[in-house]
Amino acid sequence: MIVEGSVLPVRHANIDTDQIIPARYLTRIDTAGMGEHLFEGMPDGATLLAEHPGASIVVARENFGCGSSREHAAWALLGRGFRAVIAPSFARIFEENAYTNALVPIVVAPDVAEALMSAQHIVIDVAAETLRADGGEAVAFKLDPLRKQFVLGGGFLQFLNAKIPAIRSWEAAR
Amino acid sequence: MPRSLFDKVWDAHVVEELPGGNALVFMDLIVAHEITTPPGAITIEKEFDDRLYDPQRIVAMIDHVAPAKDSATALQGQTVRNWAKRQGIPFHDIGDNGICHVIVPERGYIGPGMTACCGDSHTCTLGAFGAFALGIGTTAQAGAMLAGCLILQRPKVMRVDVTGELQGGATAKDLALTVIATIGFRGGTGYVLEYTGSAIRALTMEQRMTLCNMAIEAGATTGMIAADATTAAYLAATPNAPAFSLDVQADPDAEYAKTVTIDGSAVRPVVSWGTNPGECSPIDGIVPLDAPAESLAYMALKPGQVMTSIAIDQAFIGSCTNARISDLRAAAEVFRGRKVTVPTIVTPGSQVVRRQAEREGLHDIFQDAGALWTHSSCGPCLGMSMGVLAPGMRCVSSSNRNFPGRMGDGGRVHLAAPVVVAASAILGRIGSPSELPALADREAVLA
Repeated sequence: MIVEGSVLPVRHANIDTDQIIPARYLTRIDTAGMGEHLFEGMPDGATLLAEHPGASIVVARENFGCGSSREHAAWALLGRGFRAVIAPSFARIFEENAYTNALVPIVVAPDVAEALMSAQHIVIDVAAETLRADGGEAVAFKLDPLRKQFVLGGGFLQFLNAKIPAIRSWEAAR
Repeated sequence: MPRSLFDKVWDAHVVEELPGGNALVFMDLIVAHEITTPPGAITIEKEFDDRLYDPQRIVAMIDHVAPAKDSATALQGQTVRNWAKRQGIPFHDIGDNGICHVIVPERGYIGPGMTACCGDSHTCTLGAFGAFALGIGTTAQAGAMLAGCLILQRPKVMRVDVTGELQGGATAKDLALTVIATIGFRGGTGYVLEYTGSAIRALTMEQRMTLCNMAIEAGATTGMIAADATTAAYLAATPNAPAFSLDVQADPDAEYAKTVTIDGSAVRPVVSWGTNPGECSPIDGIVPLDAPAESLAYMALKPGQVMTSIAIDQAFIGSCTNARISDLRAAAEVFRGRKVTVPTIVTPGSQVVRRQAEREGLHDIFQDAGALWTHSSCGPCLGMSMGVLAPGMRCVSSSNRNFPGRMGDGGRVHLAAPVVVAASAILGRIGSPSELPALADREAVLA
């Protein structure tokens, strides 16, 4: 699985999910339409998106996706055409939500993230866990080996569904 | 090998170890509210024949927006309402509604040694009962509803030992903010915070909930406090009065990945000045000279500015952090016989809290002071349904998040304890109850 595209450089740390999608848009019973409100809560969000039309990879600073558990943040990024987020660190819930939705969460060193913010085009080989910016050297990263399966092939709920007999036996023996 | 409280609860719920340090962890309780539950419930209905692992392990409620503010939120409520009815899930509809992190404890749905999850980051509140309780996304919640389990990476455990005892006007909120400032806004990421020490033992359950509620604001998976006689007394008085044991305790020689010690006696009332909950100063202090320019630009503040010089446009008492009866009582003591000078909203954490407050006459105190007394919801905290800020408006709030735009586009939020919010509402600026002029005729006013 190859994810490639141009970069949206988010030069802020601690971008919380309220900034990714404000609470006033959490009023749907499905996941549609979130993309049009992406980064509406980030003071420079609209400007940034306008300056980088067609970007499909977010590169951000530390602690991206902190705060609210809203999976709408992942849905908004996907709805706007983003397929990966690269940052030195993620908040736990955002990272879990990203994996579940096949929005690839990639952790790199802070200096690597800073350098990638200026890249024109990034190519990510998800299976091989490497990325290249503008045809340069391959940078290795590590994905959660279990959750990587959900990125490559989906099936998060199917995985759990298949575990139900084992879970029922466990509970019975509790 | 000696184990922490977290270790014991986790180990007792691991169904299966999975690759990459993950585990299949059984959930004793799944809390479902109207904002984050519908997409998952609908997916299960469409793809898994509406089959739930065990509806009796789920509790549902109208939480954030009560009553519905428009057709869209009405559809969210109706979706959860219909789903709960056909599945036989206990459901707290409007009239009996409340913030899930207030309802679940007050009804006795949670107890020591349990696991719990909800599509809501402040589920860590329930850790106050010696439970392992965490916020998750909609799809993970759907997985727990379908199969009874979450897939989780085992977190590390950080012991936060709070010595001494809170004093001098310091509240559990001040301790919560002090913990975040001490370990850092993202210092808890990858950890469970296990709170121990004499200052923790001395806290009431409502104070423990305030403390655990903000574990997520340090990035932590959750916070936990071992159950004791205080926990037992609280649970015994709840309607469900669940069967529980106080046996799940950390071993005395348990090892922690990290230990942080905070002198509880030195905790002072604090107020946030920045754009995350770790950016706080003592209320009698200043905006730090080295405060990040980006935070100050958003907040329209200057380094060195005296905290009590900051004028406010609105005050809010409410949220899953500080809207329980003890919070309202404390605020009412400050409001009693005084008048607010800025728009002030007081929102109880549940309808049960609201009714208790009214039995005690607190609603009259708030309204005599000129505050708006509302029904229960998340209220202005997340700028979703009411009390939303206009750009540039500054609100002192008993809630938990001061991120840019949290309470409304361009709105500025200062986090504080309910008593500080009340005092600030009266002063029209950030201020503490000790600054309020004594009411010479206070007793006459009360009579």
